[in-house]
Amino acid sequence: MALDIEALKNAIEEKATKSPKPQLYIKDFYACDPDSKPRVIKNVANEMVREGRLMFWSSGSTTMYGIPSRIQDEEGEE
Amino acid sequence: MAKHETPLLDQLETGPWPSFVTDLKRQAATKPECWDILGILELSYKDRITHWKHGGIVGVFGYGGGIVGRYADMPKQFPGVEHFHTIRVAQPSSKYYSTANLRQLMDLWEKHGSGMTNFHGSTGDIILLGTRTENLEPFFWDLTHDMGQDLGGSGSNLRTPANCIGHSRCEWSCYDTEEACYHLTQHYQDEIHRPAFPYKFKFKFSGCPNDCVAAIARSDVSVIGTWRDEIRIDQAAVKEYVAGNYPPNGGSHSGKDWGKFDIQKEVIDLCPTDCMWMEGGELKIDDTECTRCMHCINVMPRALRPGADQGASICVGAKAPILDGAQFSTLIVPFMKVEKENEFEELIEFIESIWDWWMEVGKNRERVGETMQRVGLPTFLKVMGIEPIPQHVKEPRSNPYVFWKEEEVEGGFERDVEEFRRKHAA
Repeated sequence: MALDIEALKNAIEEKATKSPKPQLYIKDFYACDPDSKPRVIKNVANEMVREGRLMFWSSGSTTMYGIPSRIQDEEGEE
Repeated sequence: MAKHETPLLDQLETGPWPSFVTDLKRQAATKPECWDILGILELSYKDRITHWKHGGIVGVFGYGGGIVGRYADMPKQFPGVEHFHTIRVAQPSSKYYSTANLRQLMDLWEKHGSGMTNFHGSTGDIILLGTRTENLEPFFWDLTHDMGQDLGGSGSNLRTPANCIGHSRCEWSCYDTEEACYHLTQHYQDEIHRPAFPYKFKFKFSGCPNDCVAAIARSDVSVIGTWRDEIRIDQAAVKEYVAGNYPPNGGSHSGKDWGKFDIQKEVIDLCPTDCMWMEGGELKIDDTECTRCMHCINVMPRALRPGADQGASICVGAKAPILDGAQFSTLIVPFMKVEKENEFEELIEFIESIWDWWMEVGKNRERVGETMQRVGLPTFLKVMGIEPIPQHVKEPRSNPYVFWKEEEVEGGFERDVEEFRRKHAA
C-alpha cells in the first residue's frame, strides 16, 4: 500500500539528507515508496520545493532536487 | 574604449558575414558587462576551455524551469559576468509578434538584463542572455504582470511547445496547429513549469509533412499533419503548369532561368515511390503508394492539394544532441484525428501513456527515444497497447530467430512436447 503524503515527504527528506550526493534525480526518490506512482512522487517533491523542504538544482538540461542547506553549501551561495 | 584585448575574437569580424563580436561591442556601449563577455570568451579561446560554471539553483518562486543559472569561474577578472543567467520566455504561437510586443520585451530586457538575446533557441522560445540573480524576480513580475507573457521550459520539464503557422497562413495545414499547441501548452502548465521527467521532453506541431518546425528531427512527440484519402488534383491547373502559364514552386527559385517547366523531369521522375504518371494529358496518382513527401504539391501548389480527410501522424523519440547521435522520431500512429472539438483527447491520452511508461522505465538523462531504442520497438508498442502494423517496419529483419512469449504459445511452455510431436510427426 502506498504511503500517505506526509510519510512520503518524510521518506524523501530522509533520502535527500542521507544521500552521499547533495543533488538527486527525481527517479532516486521512487525507491522511497515503490507503491506510489512516479507522478505522485513528482508532485510531492515539487510540493516540498514550494514548502522549502527541497530545492531545485538545474544544469539547464536536467533538474535535480536536494535539501536546501546541502545544495547551498556545495554551491557556496547564501 | 575596449576593456579587454580581444585579438582572436577580432579576427571573426574580418569575414564577410555579420559578426556577433561586432554586435557585442556595439551593445557594450550601453551595457558594459558585454566587455566581460568578450573578455571571458577571448580567454576561453586562448585556454581552449570554457570559463562558465555549469548550472545552479537560481529560479523564480514557484517555478522549476525557465531560468538557467550561469556563472563565470573567474568573477574577479570578469565581474560583469559573475552572474550571467539565461531566461527562457515562451514565444507566441507560430512566432507572431507585434512590434509593440517586441519593443516592450526589449525595453524590459534592457532594464533587467544585458540586452543580449537569441531569437530563438532551438526549442523555439525567446532566449534572453545574461542577468544577475537579484534581477530575476523583478523581471518575472514585469513579464507576467505588465506583458502577460510567461517563462518557457528548461531542465527536466516539458519544454515550450512549438508549432508552424498552420491554418493562419498555410493552405496545406491538415489540422489547427496553433489551437493544438495552445491547448496543450495550457493543459500542461504544471509540466512546463515544474520538473516532472527523467530528462527533457518536447512536442512540436507541424501542419503538413513539409514539417516546417522540424518536429520529426527534434521532438519527443512529433505531431505532423497528413491525410488518408487522395491528393486533390485540379487537372486544368496541371495543364497551365505544363503550358508554362503558372510558375512552378510558387515562383520561388525564379532568380535564374531554369528553362521551360518539365513535369516529367521536375515532378514525376522525382516522386520517391514512382506513383505518378501522365495519361491522356492528365496527371494520375496512385495514392496507395504515396508517402506524403509533398514534393509534387510544393512544385505545383495551384494544381495539387492535400486530401480532404485530414489529421496527423504521430511519431515518437527524436533528439538532436550536439555530442552524440541525432535521431529522427519513429512513426507510431500513422493517422490520428487532431481536433479541438474533443479537446485533443486522443492525443493527450497518447502523450500521457508515454509519460507514465517513460517516467517509470526511463533512466536518468535518457530521452524517450533512447528508452525506446533500449527496450526495442516491439516492447514499446506492447506497452502502449498498439498493434504492430507494416508502417512500423523499418527494414526486413536480420535476426532469423522468433522469440515467442508464453501466452502466444498454445498450451504455454509447460505443454506436453512428446504428445505434440506424436500428432505432428513430420
